This record gives sequence, structure tokens and C-alpha cells, in this order.
Amino acid sequence: MIKKILFFCISVWFLSALLFFISRLAPGDPLVSYYGERAEKMSVKEREWAEEQLGLDEPIFVQYIRWLENAIHGNFGISYKYKMDVVEVIGARIGNTLILGGIGFVLIFGLAMVLGILCAWYEDRLPDRIICQIGTVTSCIPEFWLSLLLILIFAVNLRWLPSSGAYAVGEADNIESRFRHLILPMTVVVTGHLWYYAYMIRNRILEEVRADYVLLARAKGLRRRSVMFRHCLRNVMPAYLSIMAISVPHILGGTYIVEMVFSYPGIGTLLYESARYKDYNLLMLLGILSGIAVIFCNMLSQIINEKIDPRMKADDAVREVEGR
Amino acid sequence: MSGAFELAGMRQLPKEEPAQKEKWYKGKPIVAAVVLMLILWGCLCCNLIMTKDPVYMDLANCNVPPCKEFLFGTDTMGRDIFSMIWYGGRISLVIGIVAAFISTAVAIIFGAVSGSAPKWMDGLMMRLTDILISIPGLLAVVLIQAVLGRADILGLSFVIGITSWTAIAKVVRTETRRLRGSDYVTASKCMGGSFFHVLFHHLAPNFISSIMFMVVMNIRSAMIAEATLSFMGIGLPVGVISWGSMLSLAEQALLSNAWWMIVIPGAFLIVTLLCMTSIGNYMRKNVSRRHSNL
Repeated sequence: MIKKILFFCISVWFLSALLFFISRLAPGDPLVSYYGERAEKMSVKEREWAEEQLGLDEPIFVQYIRWLENAIHGNFGISYKYKMDVVEVIGARIGNTLILGGIGFVLIFGLAMVLGILCAWYEDRLPDRIICQIGTVTSCIPEFWLSLLLILIFAVNLRWLPSSGAYAVGEADNIESRFRHLILPMTVVVTGHLWYYAYMIRNRILEEVRADYVLLARAKGLRRRSVMFRHCLRNVMPAYLSIMAISVPHILGGTYIVEMVFSYPGIGTLLYESARYKDYNLLMLLGILSGIAVIFCNMLSQIINEKIDPRMKADDAVREVEGR
Repeated sequence: MSGAFELAGMRQLPKEEPAQKEKWYKGKPIVAAVVLMLILWGCLCCNLIMTKDPVYMDLANCNVPPCKEFLFGTDTMGRDIFSMIWYGGRISLVIGIVAAFISTAVAIIFGAVSGSAPKWMDGLMMRLTDILISIPGLLAVVLIQAVLGRADILGLSFVIGITSWTAIAKVVRTETRRLRGSDYVTASKCMGGSFFHVLFHHLAPNFISSIMFMVVMNIRSAMIAEATLSFMGIGLPVGVISWGSMLSLAEQALLSNAWWMIVIPGAFLIVTLLCMTSIGNYMRKNVSRRHSNL
């Protein structure tokens, strides 16, 4: 356990250093994000003064040490663009992302289970084939294009649903408004990932039904349904749980991209903006938060494997998720 | 005539039907291959097909819906989409292939080094791979590219390539570990074969078939990444025509409800991706599946 915590800390530290140096060394002018248009008209003197104000004039190592020192004390600096503490900026947005990603996650894994069982039940027969074909097609559609198509159909032509944002102006507490804004992004998040996991479940179950104990159970006279649900599914579940844990980063990543297309005010859009406009402090904290989610979920899946199903190596789950 | 056999008659043997010959195309992705070939051919010979100059901005004919003169319509800058599709397809495909090539090269070298390294180093390298593998590829590309700013074709392929090598590296590493103790590798080393000689002449033939489908899938995801980046305005600039950069005009297209600007390049992209997927799946497919007990 101590080893795991140590590994966790080292990974986070490594990530922070990597992020820090890459973002600082990349071309781009952070002053633009702080002062906007004015930054381009500044004289040399004003620039120097501004850089000193933001602490950007020192050598990069000193900057990193200082950032690290502040971060350990819980002070992550201010966002250049929003001129607020980055924790506040993120706090205002993170709820939206958690709603989108969280509901998406539940829907994806619920539906994937249903589809997977359905396909395995009708293996190589018509329903299975149809679902597999549709699934393969949906897995080829880039998320941003599906978003565009949905906006084109439902927002521009039919005018049924809004095309961007998380709620209508001034209606942040209106649940109905929020719900209407969620439908399109949610559809994209779910269809973007659904087939991948459904197919995984399908193949897992198909492997399972080829085991000898299924033959025995059938020979005993148990019905297909009870063999499938009482025996096969139980054996698939541990692997499923571990895949669920390890897929969190992927679904989160998908959510970020969908957010950017729909200009949904979540941390995905925020991350993109901060990377694009060199809002260093914001970028660092967002990157580290996402990184922590990734590392934590990986560890979780490892622990699930070790505790529930020692037969499975952590490697397998990783490889399967990466097969995409 | 005693003692000799006598022919009493002949029994007609049932004429043996030759077993139903498996059709050669059975289970093979013929349609996908043909469509992919057509698209490839169209892109390579785009000069023969194009009806207009793809980069010419015909300002008198902006936003024209598909008609006889402009088969797929024109975009907001008055360029002919039909010509742009074939012309831009080349860049999309080149990025896909170059990125996949880079990622495969990195993966093979990393995997082989890790597989033949001592245990502690192997463990360290695999730890690194595990961390990298859990970062969603598309997201990493978007962030790196957003930090770097605008890109050209090679730079973009490079960024996509170096973020997508991990899965292949794992397979290569496993195979290398399995084979590195075998006699022919030892023999080759004794005769003075260098690391790369052993890698390409003795190890590569063993793992090439198992990574082939991953390479195809990498081409696919590289094309998706290119399109996504260009769409978001951090990939190729609008001036460089590719299927992705054509979609970067989508925001204006939405305002003017010009469906053809979104649907047509996207459809070409998706059909290409679909063909690659089915070819990739065919490569992966396990031919001998056991019978279901359920």
C-alpha cells in the first residue's frame, strides 16, 4: 500500500514537471491571455514590468521551484485570463463536466452491458450481425463530426435543441433548461464509446460460454437464460469492473472533446483554452487534476483485479482498452 | 480357370462430389478493399478527376449547394468541394500513413530495447508505457498541439505519431522477451549480428503479423486526430486542404445551414475509416473459433 502511495506521488510530481516545462518552453505569449489585445502594443519596458508582475522573468527552474512550493501550500496562483484564483475558476466549471461525464459513464456501461448480452445471446444470428454492423459504423465516426451533424439536424434545421452552452442565459438553476442542453453532448459521448465496450463484453461472454462448466450446466438441464445470467455473467463481472475503472480517463477525454465542440462550460473547454492561450497556472492545475484521475483509476483497476479476480493480470485490461 | 479370380461384376462407386469449394472471397473484406482502393486511386490521380482548381476561390460562387457545375457544392470561400475532396484526401492519407509509420518505428525500437534490456530497466520502461497508455490519445494530441500552436503536415504527423506507439510497443516487447533466448537469436548474436540486424532479420518476422492490424488501426486513429485538430483550428490551416481542414469551416456552414460542407467531407472520411476498420478487423480475426456450449 505504501509502495502504491509513493508511486502515486512520484507520478504526480513527474507529471507536474513535464507539464510545466513543456508548456513554458512552447512558443506563445502568456501576456496576451492576461492583457488581451493590449499585450501586442506594449513597449519593451511595459512588457518587462508585466513579466515581473507575473513572475515570468525568472529562469524556468526557479519558476518551477516557486510554483511547486506554492502548490504544496495549496496556492495554485491566479488564472491570467479570468484574474481569479484558479481553484475558483475550476470549481465553477467542474460540476458541469461531472454531470456530463458521470451520467455518460453510467449510460455507457449500462447500455454496453445490455447490448453485449444481446449480441452474445444471438451470436452470429441476425440481431447480433445487425448490431455489430451498426456498432462498427458508429465506432468510425469522429466525435466532433457527429456533434456537427447533430447540431445541424436538431439545432439548426429542426430547432428542437440548443447547440451550445450548459443552460440558457440566466437559467442556471432551471433543471429543464439544463437537461435540454445536455441531450446532444450526451448523445455524442455515449455513441462515441458505447460500441467499444459493448463489443468487449460481447467477446468476453462469448469466451465464457465456450467453457466446460457451461456444458455441464446445460447438461444438468439448466435453461440458457439461467446459465447466462447466473453463471457466465458472474464470471465476466470482475473483468467488467476493472475495465470500468480503467476506462474513466478515456471517457473523460471523450467528454473534454465533446465539450469543446459544444462550447459546454466544463473543464474540457477550460483546459483547451488554457493550453491554447498559455494560461499557465490554470493549465497546470487542470493537467494535474486530470492526471490524478488517470493514475488513480489505473490503480483502482489494479486493486480490483488483485482483490476480486487474481486470475486476471492488470496487463490484460490495459491492453484491451488500448486496442482501439 | 480354377485358382484365378473371376470378375463377377463391378459395383458402381457413388460418384464423389467435390466438397463445396470455399469461395475465395468468403469472409474477406472485398468491398472494403475495393472502396478503399477507389478512394486511394481517386486521390492519387486527382488531376484526372478534378473539375475545378481546388485552391481557386471563386468569390462569385460562395455557398453554392451541389449542382451540375459544382458537383458537391462550394464552401464559404468559393472553392469547389468535389475537387477539394480528392485533392485534400492525399494530405489526410499522407498524415495517417506517416504518423502510423512514426509510431510503429518508435514502438518497435522501444519494445525491442525494453524486451532485451535487463529486468529493472524493462520494468521501468514498461511502467512508463503503462502511464502513457492510460492517457487518451486524442486528448494528448489536442493538448500538445494546442500548446505548440499551428502546425504543418510533418509536425502534425510527428505529434500524432509519438502519442500512439504504446500499444504496439507492448506487443513487440512481449514477443522479444519470448524470443530473445531462442537458439537462432543467440547464434546470430555470436556471429556478430548487431542489435538492429537481430531485430529486423530475426525478431521482426515473428511479431509483424501480430502488430499489423494495430498499424492499420493507427492509420485510422491518426486520420481521426488530424481531422479533429484541423476542425478545432489548431491543426492544418484552412489554406492547406485536407478533409479535416475542410471541416474547419463547419462553424460558418452551420450559420448558413450549408449541410454539404459538413456532410460530404465527413462522409468521405468515415467511409475511408470504415474500410480500414474492416480490413484491420479481418487481420485480427481469429479464424478457428470454438463451438459455443450455451
